[in-house]
Amino acid sequence: MDIIFSDCSVRYGERTALEPLSLRIEGARLGVIGLNGSGKTTFARLINGLSLPSTGRVTVNGIETSAEPERARTEAGFVFQNPQNQLIMPVVEEDIMFGLRARGLKACAAEERAAEALARFGIEALARRRVHELSGGELQLAAMASVWALRPRILVLDEPTNQLDLRNRRRVIDAIDAMPEDAVVVTHDLSFAAHMPRLLLFHGGRLLADGAPDETIARYHEIAGC
Amino acid sequence: MTTRDLALSALFAAIIIVLGLVPPVTLGFIPVPITMQSMGVMLAGTIIGAKRGALAYIIFVALVAVGLPVLSGGRGGLAVLMGPTGGYIFGWIVAAFVSGFLAERLVREGASEWRQLGGFFLSSVLGGIVVLYAIGMPWVTLAAGTPFSAVAWGSLAFIPGDLLKAAVAAIAARSVLAGYPLLPQRA
Amino acid sequence: MLTSLYVEGRGPLHRVTAGTKLAGLAIAGVVLFFVTQLWLLAVFLFLAALAYLTAGLSIREALRRIAPTLWSLLFLLAVNLFLLPMQDAAVLGLRILALVFAAAAVTATTPLAEMMAVVDRVARPLEKLNLLRPGDAGLTFGLCLRFVPDILSRYEALREAHRARGLKVRVLTLLGPLIILTLKQADEVASAIDARGLRGASKPFPSSERHSS
Repeated sequence: MDIIFSDCSVRYGERTALEPLSLRIEGARLGVIGLNGSGKTTFARLINGLSLPSTGRVTVNGIETSAEPERARTEAGFVFQNPQNQLIMPVVEEDIMFGLRARGLKACAAEERAAEALARFGIEALARRRVHELSGGELQLAAMASVWALRPRILVLDEPTNQLDLRNRRRVIDAIDAMPEDAVVVTHDLSFAAHMPRLLLFHGGRLLADGAPDETIARYHEIAGC
Repeated sequence: MTTRDLALSALFAAIIIVLGLVPPVTLGFIPVPITMQSMGVMLAGTIIGAKRGALAYIIFVALVAVGLPVLSGGRGGLAVLMGPTGGYIFGWIVAAFVSGFLAERLVREGASEWRQLGGFFLSSVLGGIVVLYAIGMPWVTLAAGTPFSAVAWGSLAFIPGDLLKAAVAAIAARSVLAGYPLLPQRA
Repeated sequence: MLTSLYVEGRGPLHRVTAGTKLAGLAIAGVVLFFVTQLWLLAVFLFLAALAYLTAGLSIREALRRIAPTLWSLLFLLAVNLFLLPMQDAAVLGLRILALVFAAAAVTATTPLAEMMAVVDRVARPLEKLNLLRPGDAGLTFGLCLRFVPDILSRYEALREAHRARGLKVRVLTLLGPLIILTLKQADEVASAIDARGLRGASKPFPSSERHSS
């Protein structure tokens, strides 16, 4: 991936969610940590144009998000913190198909693509299951599959291992590791963050640390005071 | 229609369905249980506004029409729409719109609690009772042939219950306005 | 959880397309208003009732499904007998009974998917007018049905929370939180729909084979 933040800041009315930030992200994996409300989700949402910068700009693989938010969204897929609210059709397969059909794919091509996505995340068995009946881990994998099926070059994952049991956490991490696409992972899961090649720490809307995971995590413990 | 409008309307329609699936609940100050779904039309307009409230009911009525048992008591299908009370069901769409239209104009965000409650109550009564009956009663006459005056007299029996529902809807609408205001952002 | 009132079967009405049945029902609704011959209305009623009762349901179940409508109808017809001449009351009664049975027959013999296809067709002119984007109708219906079980679980959870705190379950203390929580969810759902680009095919899908490597 090649993501460039140039002097980018985000304000909601009076409140500053992200102080001016200049940064270039390359490589296949990036981790982002920080306390609740530190600006890390805002940072993540900027990458696929879900939030637009109040000043400055963000370019994702050469696409400026403010100029072409829709293209930015096809370039970077976003898996939300609560996968429950991301799956919008009653049945898993229908949900994946709906996204593909909305992009103009013919039914048979979409079916093929959906099957491929289910296989990629090892959840072929969930195809006909009702979204409402899925467990936390299954929901997370299904949400990832539905975004992956749209073939983004980058996946942005907001707390993908949140609230998962040990076994499902392992499944989700393995699935992320195995993805050939680039990934930006926002997480509170420090042992997962520890094996990212590069880790950012946000605090109070500011980028506080940027570098190898052990240094960034040490800094995080410092500011959290524990 | 923004995506947010569609999502709010669709989920409000889902709330209306759920209110028909759960058993009637008592109000507290009187021991009579009420079917919560029948308050939906007052709630929809006053909480998410005229346009989105009407859309929620278009979705709901369409689901009745395609044969899903989404009306309280598991009713649904074209027979209900073709029956003598079908006018009330189609009327919900207009009633939700009118309740919302009035609430958007009568209720101001900074106003005192009592003024807001009064505005919501008036909107619910005019939209959810006056307009609804104005559509529902002639339909009964048209469909079943019962003389209008008889239908109108008979309908009077439902007015006290409806006024009570309007009061409950007004309180609910106010608490949502205080907790998560959606009405002022007119869609 | 929400299953359609459609009944599987191979009767003659099952083989007619949804559009034809709905158009037929609409035409019957108009035409019957001009029919005042008792015998003709009786024939209509007989045919409609036959169509419904042979759709594949037991007679008991078939009547149970439309019982609330039938009861309100019988009540109105009884009122009519007092207020109207016998002949008029009979014409009105036969006419609406025939329509109710015909409508129930259409519902029982048309699968949900076919009904939805008709709804999509009805929505198409609105897309042309730019009031809706292509696929919006399917999206909103899907959304609505998808979240019914979620909201029902939320309702149960709120009831539990009342009990856990020793509160009586009351309309007002349930409705507010139920609606607020659901509408907050709607906001998240909306931003997820935009993030996934689920509305309308504004651009052709990129055709490069990115995953093949």
